[in-house]
Amino acid sequence: MIAREVAWRIFAGEYNSSIHVESGVGERAPSYVVTPLGAKVNRLFVVGVVTDVENIGTDTEPMWRARLADPTGVFFLSAGQYQPEAAQILSKLKPPKFVAVIGKSRTYSPEEGVIYVSIRPETIKEVNSELRDFWVLNSCRSLKKRLEIVSEAMKMEKPSIENIISLGADRNLAEGIMSAIEHYDYIDIARFSSMLQDGLKHLLPEHQEIDGGEGVEAEERQNKESEDNIENEEKFLEIIEELDKDVKGAAWEEIMEMAQKKGLSRIQIEETTNSLLDKGLIYEPVLGRIKKI
Amino acid sequence: MKENEDIAPHVEDIARVLGDKVDKEEIDRELKQYLKEYRIPLSTAKQMLVKKYGGAPSNLGLGVFKTVEQLTPNEPSVDLLCRLISVNHKDVEVGGEKKPIVYGILGDQTASVPFTAWEVGDWQFQKGDVVRVRNAYTKEWKGQPQLNFGERTNIERESKDALPNFAPTPISDPKKYEVKDLKGGMSNISLVARVLFVEKRNVNVGGEEKAVFSGIMADKSGKVQFSAWHDFGLSEGDVIKVEGGYVKNWRGIPQFGFDERVKFEVLDTDKMPPLDELAERHVYQIGELIDRGGAIDVVVEGVIIDIKSGSGLIFRCPECKRVLQKGVCRIHGEVEGKADLRIKAVLDDGTGALTAVLGRDITEKLIGKDVKECREIAKKAMDQSVIADDLKDLLIATPIRISGDASFDDFGIMLIAKDAQMMSIDVQKEAKTMLDELEV
Repeated sequence: MIAREVAWRIFAGEYNSSIHVESGVGERAPSYVVTPLGAKVNRLFVVGVVTDVENIGTDTEPMWRARLADPTGVFFLSAGQYQPEAAQILSKLKPPKFVAVIGKSRTYSPEEGVIYVSIRPETIKEVNSELRDFWVLNSCRSLKKRLEIVSEAMKMEKPSIENIISLGADRNLAEGIMSAIEHYDYIDIARFSSMLQDGLKHLLPEHQEIDGGEGVEAEERQNKESEDNIENEEKFLEIIEELDKDVKGAAWEEIMEMAQKKGLSRIQIEETTNSLLDKGLIYEPVLGRIKKI
Repeated sequence: MKENEDIAPHVEDIARVLGDKVDKEEIDRELKQYLKEYRIPLSTAKQMLVKKYGGAPSNLGLGVFKTVEQLTPNEPSVDLLCRLISVNHKDVEVGGEKKPIVYGILGDQTASVPFTAWEVGDWQFQKGDVVRVRNAYTKEWKGQPQLNFGERTNIERESKDALPNFAPTPISDPKKYEVKDLKGGMSNISLVARVLFVEKRNVNVGGEEKAVFSGIMADKSGKVQFSAWHDFGLSEGDVIKVEGGYVKNWRGIPQFGFDERVKFEVLDTDKMPPLDELAERHVYQIGELIDRGGAIDVVVEGVIIDIKSGSGLIFRCPECKRVLQKGVCRIHGEVEGKADLRIKAVLDDGTGALTAVLGRDITEKLIGKDVKECREIAKKAMDQSVIADDLKDLLIATPIRISGDASFDDFGIMLIAKDAQMMSIDVQKEAKTMLDELEV
């Protein structure tokens, strides 16, 4: 049967931690990136923020690279002459933008045991934040289901595809989970559980505010995070806004200069930058330049 | 090993085809090597050997004896001792000419299999006959072997007691299933369900007029079409228990069947949720539909990830309703086409993908324009494909809920839509519930 490959909703954090590839045998057989939680990925559907686009090819033979951020990490996209529609859209995109991508999984292995995964887009479409949130929720559902089944399967003495199906997986998922159990020495359930929490919190306004929320957890976090830090972050964002006049972002040297004038130390500046990068409030469109999202 | 003694006639067979060009001892040695070392099935090994020495494998005369249960698809030559369970005659068209064939089911004590005889000649066998079949071959149909009798096949009648009497299916306790777990090819099933709808139809089975009571029944897991080949006095709303039914794929959708041989019981009506509750459409994951092989009256929720060619504004032949290609009908040539709208979309929910076909009414509703308006737009743009482009802009990556009947074939699941709606989901509410569950 020539079934169409399912388009996985999967977080960048999980996709990028994949180190196992199942290559198809024979002509036109599909290959799959198998994630630690057993998603057997040939096609993906992802929605996030495109933070930068560049042409790493030539004018006549362009190869567009883009980075697409979700609450857990960054997907790498690349489209060249064989993806004309996708390349066309990327070439015109002005980041940052909410974008939906349907594409195929790609891998690059510079040496034995190391693989880099990326996406080769088939379809790209500019969307809005509602669709992004809908996607995040879908990805959370999918992640939750795999987390639950993988945790159960790991407890089994002799996991098999049939046994995994009895835990509530469909056949495709059961095959992926079986493959993950066989090929990953260690599946970090705790890490993916916290990834799931991050994804869900991303959807809830009470967990999103920079200056902490009302929950107990948020309070704890806030205690660790000194008031100074938050003040610094605000200062920092103002500086970037002030310096970012020509759309390309604020130059790093200028930010340093101005921030030091406002009484921030070098270490404070670096800490603040990292914290803002982690929170996804700023990004680096090109090396040495910083821009607000 | 039993093979040792059995292999000699096959060595003779190969030697005969090769015209004694090759030494029998050599054939014997090589055949054994194929069988034991490479573990190639006997019939294939024989063919390979004959080919290797430049002979014609079709001249091999001696098939490999098998029981019906041992049959696999694509066997070139097989011998059987079996009983004809059903025998039907019909004419088929081959290369423009009518040709009589015989088809039916045959079996032995191990299993049964459908067969087709392509060279009927003076066919003289009837239902119930025990026959020895030599040099038949098998093909694959829906993953199951199907037996074929061709020119080289030889059939002889044996005495009826050459084969012990056997029951069509091994008798064991029927297994209980929920509707959603029914798959084509299952047998000896026990099912409790409520009849949602039933009608009597008369059908022609092998030249005989027969009454069949067909309809839809449901439990809380889903709905299924059924055919009862006996008058059980079924009526709408009955809760029934059927033990010993089977499931067949009919037009790509699993269908439950049963006849007078089953154990049948009408249960208390409160054993099942009420009719209107069961009549509600059931939401399926596409992965479930793929595993199961189609279902009727389903709802799926996903995202449209591709709009296929042939979507948007199309023109149909006024005679035969076929879609015109550049104003030309495949049958009626150049005609004045009738405008129509449809969408062929790939719907994906993260567990699987299916092709959904949305007709004119649904397309008009989604795009917010009727056929006439679409025609005007296309006329202005002087391009029929602008409507398809609009549909792509509107629908790609959009969450949507589609209901309809899902059938299954070699190209996967096809959903013929009865309705479709853009979906909006309270993302925050569900996220909160999920997070609360995690933090417990």
